[in-house]
Amino acid sequence: MTRLLLNSGAALALLAAVAGLLAPGDEAAQDEHAAPASPAAGPHARAPHAVPLTITQPDQLLAWVKDIERRAADEPDRFSQQDEVWVDARGEFTWDEENEVYWQAVPADLLTRGRQDFVQFCASCHGLQGDGYGRSAQGLRPPPRSFLRSTFKFTKVPGDFLPNDDALVALVQHGLDGTPMLPWAVSKERLREIVQYIKSLSPPEEGWHDGTNVIGNEIYTPDDPWAGREDEAVAEGEKAYHVNQCWSCHPAYVPVAELNSLRGVDAATTYDAKLTYGKLKTDSSYEVQGYAVAIPAPDFTWHTLRYSRDARETFQTIAAGIAGAGMPTWGRTSPEGKGSVPDETIWAIAHYVRHLVDTYHGKTAERAAFMAGVRAEP
Amino acid sequence: MRGGTTIETVRRPRAGLLGALPALLGLLLAPAARAQDVVHRWAPNPPASSYGERFDHLFALITMLIGVSFAIVLVLLVVPVIRDRARPGHKASFDHGSSLHDKRFTAIVSVVVFVVLDAWVLWVTMKDLREGYWNIPRPDVPDVLRVELLAQQWSWNFRTPGSDGQFGTADDIVTLNELTVPQDRPVVINESSKDVIHSLYVPDMRVKRDANPGSINELWFQPVKSGDFQILCAELCGYAHYQMQGKLHVLPQEQYDAWQTEASRIALAAWDENDAEARWAWEFKE
Amino acid sequence: MSGDHIHPRPTSFLRRYVFSTDHKVIAKQFMWMGFVWLFVGGVMAMMIRWQLAHPGVPVPLVGKLFYPRSSGAVPPDGYNTLFTMHGTIMIFLGLTPLMIGAFGNFCIPLMIGARDMIFPTLNMLSFWTLVPGALVGLFSLFVPLGAAEGGWTAYPTLSSTIGTPGTGETMWAISVFLIGASSIMGGINYITTTVRLRAPGMTWGRLPLTVWGLFFTSILNVLFLPVIGSAMILMVLDRAFGTSFFVPATIAHGGGGDPILYQHLFWIFGHPEVYILILPAWGFVGDLLSFFARKPAFGYKVTVGAMAAVTILSAVVYGHHMFTTGMTAMLGESFMLLTMIISVPGEILFFNWLHTLWRGNLRLTSSMLFAMGVIFVFGLGGLTGIYLATISTDIYLHDTYFVVGHFHLTMAASALFGTFAACYFWFPKMYGKVLSERLGKLHFWTTIIPLTIVFCTMFVSGYGGMPRRYYDHTGNPYTAELQWLNDITTVAAFVLGAAQLLFAWNVIKTVAGKRTAAQNPWEVGTLEWTVPSPPPHHNFDSIPLVVTGPHEFSNPAIRDGKDWIYQTEPLAS
Repeated sequence: MTRLLLNSGAALALLAAVAGLLAPGDEAAQDEHAAPASPAAGPHARAPHAVPLTITQPDQLLAWVKDIERRAADEPDRFSQQDEVWVDARGEFTWDEENEVYWQAVPADLLTRGRQDFVQFCASCHGLQGDGYGRSAQGLRPPPRSFLRSTFKFTKVPGDFLPNDDALVALVQHGLDGTPMLPWAVSKERLREIVQYIKSLSPPEEGWHDGTNVIGNEIYTPDDPWAGREDEAVAEGEKAYHVNQCWSCHPAYVPVAELNSLRGVDAATTYDAKLTYGKLKTDSSYEVQGYAVAIPAPDFTWHTLRYSRDARETFQTIAAGIAGAGMPTWGRTSPEGKGSVPDETIWAIAHYVRHLVDTYHGKTAERAAFMAGVRAEP
Repeated sequence: MRGGTTIETVRRPRAGLLGALPALLGLLLAPAARAQDVVHRWAPNPPASSYGERFDHLFALITMLIGVSFAIVLVLLVVPVIRDRARPGHKASFDHGSSLHDKRFTAIVSVVVFVVLDAWVLWVTMKDLREGYWNIPRPDVPDVLRVELLAQQWSWNFRTPGSDGQFGTADDIVTLNELTVPQDRPVVINESSKDVIHSLYVPDMRVKRDANPGSINELWFQPVKSGDFQILCAELCGYAHYQMQGKLHVLPQEQYDAWQTEASRIALAAWDENDAEARWAWEFKE
Repeated sequence: MSGDHIHPRPTSFLRRYVFSTDHKVIAKQFMWMGFVWLFVGGVMAMMIRWQLAHPGVPVPLVGKLFYPRSSGAVPPDGYNTLFTMHGTIMIFLGLTPLMIGAFGNFCIPLMIGARDMIFPTLNMLSFWTLVPGALVGLFSLFVPLGAAEGGWTAYPTLSSTIGTPGTGETMWAISVFLIGASSIMGGINYITTTVRLRAPGMTWGRLPLTVWGLFFTSILNVLFLPVIGSAMILMVLDRAFGTSFFVPATIAHGGGGDPILYQHLFWIFGHPEVYILILPAWGFVGDLLSFFARKPAFGYKVTVGAMAAVTILSAVVYGHHMFTTGMTAMLGESFMLLTMIISVPGEILFFNWLHTLWRGNLRLTSSMLFAMGVIFVFGLGGLTGIYLATISTDIYLHDTYFVVGHFHLTMAASALFGTFAACYFWFPKMYGKVLSERLGKLHFWTTIIPLTIVFCTMFVSGYGGMPRRYYDHTGNPYTAELQWLNDITTVAAFVLGAAQLLFAWNVIKTVAGKRTAAQNPWEVGTLEWTVPSPPPHHNFDSIPLVVTGPHEFSNPAIRDGKDWIYQTEPLAS
C-alpha cells in the first residue's frame, strides 16, 4: 500500500515536471496590426493560469467635495459636518487639509472582492489588467473600455467630471445597447465593489488618483417641455439638429437644398459624399494596443443607439455629452447653470432622434425610401 | 422463521393516493398565478426553413410510435396490478422463467420492435440528413449567402462579405447579435469562437451547431419565410449564457438587396484601413 | 476456497465503526453518505427551480444565508455552480455511493454466500477515498472566484482557466478524480469477489440478478473511470501547469490542443456512466419483480445476456452526446446506428420484466411499487431517447430541456426508484427493522406523480425550444412564452422534494425504533435471508451449499404449501 502510494506520487511528480518543462515562457511579441492567421487568433488572446486575485494594499482615491455632499445627503446618519468639513463616521472618507480634497480609503479586502468579481464577470472583454484588451475583445468595434484611462461614456455625468459610483453601477445594469455590453444581472452590492476596483485602476496622478478631478452628478434633466406635443418637438428638433451642425459627425437627414435653407447659407453650398453617413471619428478614449481606434458616429436610422431607449435617456445622452467622442456637453450640470444649448432644444432634438429611430430603424423598405428622398439630387 | 412484521398483501393503496392531492393542487395553482399578457406556447413555431419541417414530421412519427408502445406497456403494467393482486386462494402461474416458446416470442417481439421502431425512424432520419441538414450547398451552387460567425462571451459577431463576395475587405458587413439574410436563398455559415464553446441555435429554422474555438464548423439553412427569428446560445458558455441572444432577420429578396447595398455603403464609409486588428475574417471553409 | 474459519469481530470503536473492513458496516457508511448528499443535491435542485420560476427573487428561508451579496437571490454565477454541483453531487456522491457502494457492499457477499468481500481493506479504502473526494468538492464551494461553474460535463475551454479562472474548477476535477478512484477500488473488489467467493453450488446461473447487475456495473466502473480520471488529470494540468491539452492554438500560450478531445474522453466515460447508474437498478428490479410477483424472473438468461450486451455496447455509443459538435457525417451515422442497436437489449429485458408480472401473484409492498415504478419511468424515459438518438431530431432538441427530462427519467428517477425499492427491501436485513409500509406507499405516490409532472413538462419545454442551463428564460421573447411551463415544473418539483422528507422520516424513525423484523419478512429464498436480521459479523455460521436458483417461486415442486424456497433447499424431484 505504501509502495503503491509512493509510486503514484512519484509518477505524478514526474508528470508535473515534464509538464512544467513543456509549458513555454512568454510568447514573442507579434505585430499587433497583422491580420489574424486563423479564427479568433490574436496577440491579446490568453489562456491565463496564474491570475493575481488578492489586493494587499488599500487604495486611496480622491473624491472632490461635490460627491461628498451628495453622499452626505444620501446617508445623513453617516456624515456630519464640523467646521465645514464633512466627517465620515465609517472613516472611509477623510479630509486632506493640505490638498483640500477628500480621500476615499478603499480597504484591501473590498478591493480584493472587487478584483475577483471583475475577473469573474468583466475580464473576458475588459482584460485581466482592465486595459480593455481581453481575449474576447478581439476585433470589437467599439472596443471594450480601458479602465486605465478614467474616461467613461454614457454615464449621464458630463465628460469633464468623473462619474460617481451610482452612475457607473447604473450603467452596467442598463447595458449599452448594440454592443456586447449587455445589462448584466450582477447585484448592486457586488457592482459597487467592482466599481471601487475599477476606480483603483486609474494610473497614478490621473483619474481617481488626481485630486483636481471632480466627481460629478448626473446631468440636470428637467421635465419634458414637449409632452403631448411630440409632433412639434420633432419638427423643431429636425431644424435644431441641422442648424446646430450635428451632421458634421452624424448623418444629415434632409436633402441638401433643405439643409442649406435651414442653415440660411447659399443654396449652392455643397457637402462631401459622406453627408448622409456617419463619419469615422477617432475616439480619444479608445486605444487598442497603442492605436487610436476610429468608429463611425451612429446613424439613428441604422445603428442601435447605446443609451437611448426613450426620449429622456436620449436627452441625457445628448446633454451630458459623450466623453472622448467629440460629443461635447450640451446641457447644464445644475438648475442654476447654463448649457451650450437650451434644454428645450435638446429635448426637441431628443424627440427627433427617437422619431428617426422609431420610424426607420429595422424597417428596411421605409428607410430605403426615406434615405433615397434625402439623397435625391434636386 | 416466522414472526414479527408480516407483509401486507391485499391493501389497496388508498392512503397512497391521498398523496396525489398536493401534486394536483400544485398543478391547479400554477396557472392561476400566471401573467395573462404573455403567450403560453408549448410547441415550436412553424418551421421557417426549407428542411425544417422534416424535424416536425419525424418528431410526430416518433411520438406516434412511442405513444403506441407506451400504451401497450401501461396496459401490461396495469392489468397485473388489478387482475393478479395477491389475495387468499390466488396463485401465480409458474412458467419456469421461460421456455423455448417464450424465447421465440421474445426474439420475434425484439425484431419487430427494432424494425418498426428503430429501423423505420433510422431510414427517415438518414434521408433527412442526406437531403437536408448535411446537404451543405457546394461552392458552385449560385446565390448562396456565405456568413462567418465569430461567437464570443456573450455576443454573436456576424460577417457577410458584401457585394465583392470576399471576406476581409472594406465592404464586409459586420453586425453584432443580428444577422440579415434574404428569403429563399441558402445561407451557409462558418462558425468559430474567440474563447469558449458556444452553439448557434435558431429554433424556428430547426438548426443548431456548436461554435468551437480554434476550429470552423459549417452549418446551412434556407429560410422560406420572412420575418424576425430568435437566435439562442445552446452550449453553456459562462455566467451570461442565457443572455447570449440574437435576431435573424429574413427579408424578401428586393428588400435584402436594398439592405445589403446600404449596409455595404455604410461599412465602406466606416472603413479604417489602418485598423487591421478589427479584421477577424478567415478564408471561407467550403 | 475460503474455508470455514471465522475471524473474530474487532473490538475498538475505530475498527468497528470508522475504519471497519466489514462489508456490512461499509455499506451503511456509504448509505448514509449517499442519503446526506442526495439531500444536499436535492436542496440545490429546489434552489434551481426557484430561480427558474421566480427569476431574481430572493430564495425564501435560505437565500440570505447562501447569497448574502445579492440580497438572497441566486446570482447568475451562483446558478451555474448550482446546476454543476447538483449534477456532480447527485451522480457521484448520491447515487453511486447508495446503489453501488451501499447495496453492492451489503448484498454481494451475502447473496453469493461469502463471509465478506475478497479485499476487505481495499473496501475500507474505497469508502475513505470517497470521503476526501467529497470534502474537496465541498470546500471548492468556498474558494475565491467561486466553485466549478462549467456544468458537470465541464467542457473546455469554459472549464479551462479561460472560462473559469480560480481554484474552484480545479478542486472539482480533483474531487471527481478521487471519487472515481474510490469507485475503481470498489469495482475491482466486486468483480473479484463475485468470481472467486461464490459459495459451492452458487453457479453463475443461480446468481440473483442483483449480483449480475452489480457485476456488470463494476466491469464498466473499472474500465471507464480511468478514462475520466485521465481527463481530469489533463484538465488539472491545463489549469494549474499551463499545458494546453484542451486549449486550441489560437488561445493558448504556445502549442495547442483541442477542446473536442475532452468531449471524447468525457463521454467515453460518460455514456458507460449512465449504464453504471442503471445496471444495479435493473438488477434490483429484475429480482424484486420476481420476489413480489411470486414467479420466476422471466427470461433470466436472456436478461443477463441483455445486460452483458448493454455493457459491451455502452462504450461505442457515446458520440450521441456530441452530434452538434461538427463531427463528420459518417461518424455521426455510426453512433446513431449503434445507439439504436443498444436500445434493443434494453427493450428485451424491459419486456422480460412485464412478462414476470403477467399472471403472477402480486404483493404490492412499497418495494414492489417502486420496482414497478422503475418500469414506468424507465419506459417513459427510454422511449424518449429515440428522439435524441436520431440526429435530425437531436439537432433541435440537443441542449434543451428535452434532454434534461430524458436523462432525469432514465438516470435519476429509474436509478432512484430502484434504490428506494432496494432500501425498503433490504432495510430489515441491514437493521433488523422494517420500514413503515404505510409511509412507504405514501412516499411512492407522492413521489411518482409529481416526478412525472416535472419531467414530462420538461419534454414540453424542450420541444418548445427552451435551452438548458439558462439562468433566466424571461429575458428574450422566444423563451418567455415558455415560462409558464417553468412554473408548473417548479411547483411539482417542490412537492416532489417535500415528499422525500417522508422517506427521511421513515428511515430515521425506523432506525431509532425497536428491532422487530423477522429473519425473512418477504418470504424470499436468496441467501441473505437465511441469516438473522441483521446478520452477525461473520455472516454465515457455515458456508451454505446452494442447490436451487433464486427465483423458484410458485414452483409446484415446493413442499409444505409454501410458494418459495431457500436456495439451500432442494426442490422435490
